Amino acid sequence: MATEHQAPKRVAIRDGLLTEPLDDLAKVRLQGSRCRHCNEVTLGRNAICPNCGGIDMDPVALADHGELWTYTVVRHKPPGDYRGPEPFKPFGLGLVELPDGLRVVSPIEGDVDSLKVGTPLRLKISVHHTGAAGEDVVAFAFAPRL
Amino acid sequence: MSDVVILGAGIHPFGRFDKTYEEIGSYAAAAALADAGVAWRDIQAAYLSRMYLPATSGARILRRLGSTDIPIVDVEAACASGGVALRQAVLAIRSGEADLVLVLGTEKMPRGFMDPRMIYSPWQVEMGMSLNPSYWSMRARRHMYEFGTTDLHIAKVAHKNHRNSVHNPNSMYQKEFSLEEIINSPLVCDPIRRLEICAPNDGAAAVVVASRERAAKIGGHPITIAACCHSIARFSADFRCPADSMSATANNPGPTEVTAKQAFERAGLGPKDIDCFEVQDTDAFCEIEIYEELGLCGLGEAGRLIDEGRTEIGGDMPVNMSGGLISKGEPVGASHLGQVVEIISQLRGQSGKRQVADAKVGLAHVLGAGGNCAVTILKN
Ligand SMILES: [Zn+2]
Repeated sequence: MATEHQAPKRVAIRDGLLTEPLDDLAKVRLQGSRCRHCNEVTLGRNAICPNCGGIDMDPVALADHGELWTYTVVRHKPPGDYRGPEPFKPFGLGLVELPDGLRVVSPIEGDVDSLKVGTPLRLKISVHHTGAAGEDVVAFAFAPRL
Repeated sequence: MSDVVILGAGIHPFGRFDKTYEEIGSYAAAAALADAGVAWRDIQAAYLSRMYLPATSGARILRRLGSTDIPIVDVEAACASGGVALRQAVLAIRSGEADLVLVLGTEKMPRGFMDPRMIYSPWQVEMGMSLNPSYWSMRARRHMYEFGTTDLHIAKVAHKNHRNSVHNPNSMYQKEFSLEEIINSPLVCDPIRRLEICAPNDGAAAVVVASRERAAKIGGHPITIAACCHSIARFSADFRCPADSMSATANNPGPTEVTAKQAFERAGLGPKDIDCFEVQDTDAFCEIEIYEELGLCGLGEAGRLIDEGRTEIGGDMPVNMSGGLISKGEPVGASHLGQVVEIISQLRGQSGKRQVADAKVGLAHVLGAGGNCAVTILKN
């Protein structure tokens, strides 16, 4: 008799940041909200538009690709409860411009010394770390489009 | 509307001290009162700006000068806290509620990077988006891409400010670094380097503020507050921590531009009328960006301004004569009032080797988390 293997529960690193469900990570996108009043698209599931205060918001799945608008390299381990790889490895952090009309702060995968403004990028959704209750915490990054 | 003036100023040096915040704060407050020739018992209201201190810090600090029953209010607006406290004093005097007010900024901060929980959401901390310099660096990188600003431009700002600080006994470092040392100092977040950023530390600064009428009775050498304005960034107008995204379509003016415009209008002055500036140089690039936003030059031209030495003490628009936050350190709640103390010293001609010749009008600017910005214009 085979024992049933229960996959760990998956949760988004922040509620409302990723589209659901999370079973097939290849299908997950960044969640956005479009304001029916001013048309501004903002990151996450938002009930109120931070631009105009409108309350008629449509959820939208943001594009899974964009361009590097600007970047930095984080050379020191960030303070507090940073859950990245141990031991710490310097990583790229950038603003990724999406065709939806917004730029998102995101870790940028790949060689930190070959980052360049304008590089085409693709969204990568993956399990980032294990949460306090053993759940898989899912987060995002962007990586150069090959 | 009654004219509001500064009667006296005091400062406790910025640095790291084995002293309580009560000691540091009361030292600056007592110095400002002595400079103004005003007794603590005559003060009718007091405002304390601070970010990292516990509740009712203002009362705890000022109790040391004697327990009076005046209202003492703590205010906080990140790096702009001091401007907000000064503005509250101006408003109290203009309303007629008071005509003699003490404004004090005091801070005592832990070493190293600030506790990210103060401003970031837990998920940003977990993903490593919680280093303030990474946001400054991303703005710097974009400016370099768009306008050809270079590592050398950024290093030159740090070089200037560190060199100015040698003559400022209230600065933490007071040490000149060569351009080579700066440009070879370790990267914190590319392209910003160790010797190009400010450190959180301890310090306090205070001013005694009065109505023109009250000041006339007290005497001395009052400095006029020509403007004291505070604003917070409009939607997506300021990419700064703890932003997780920004609009690619909104085109709102940044908080420095908005606040400075308001201050210039109130004062009836323009950037060309200002003889000396103290501005937010949390990192050296920040100062470059602010040249443009204050209108010292056009968009993308700040690199040339620093190349031509125009913001040196001997230039036609001196910036950060005190050494700026890069060399003084940034005790957040005290930083703006520290700038105000420097401008007052300049307008009184008391700045010694860092004195700007014939300074009559000065501007102080701070900008921080959430796009909080304050601009104060002082004149003789
Ligand atoms: Zn809207």
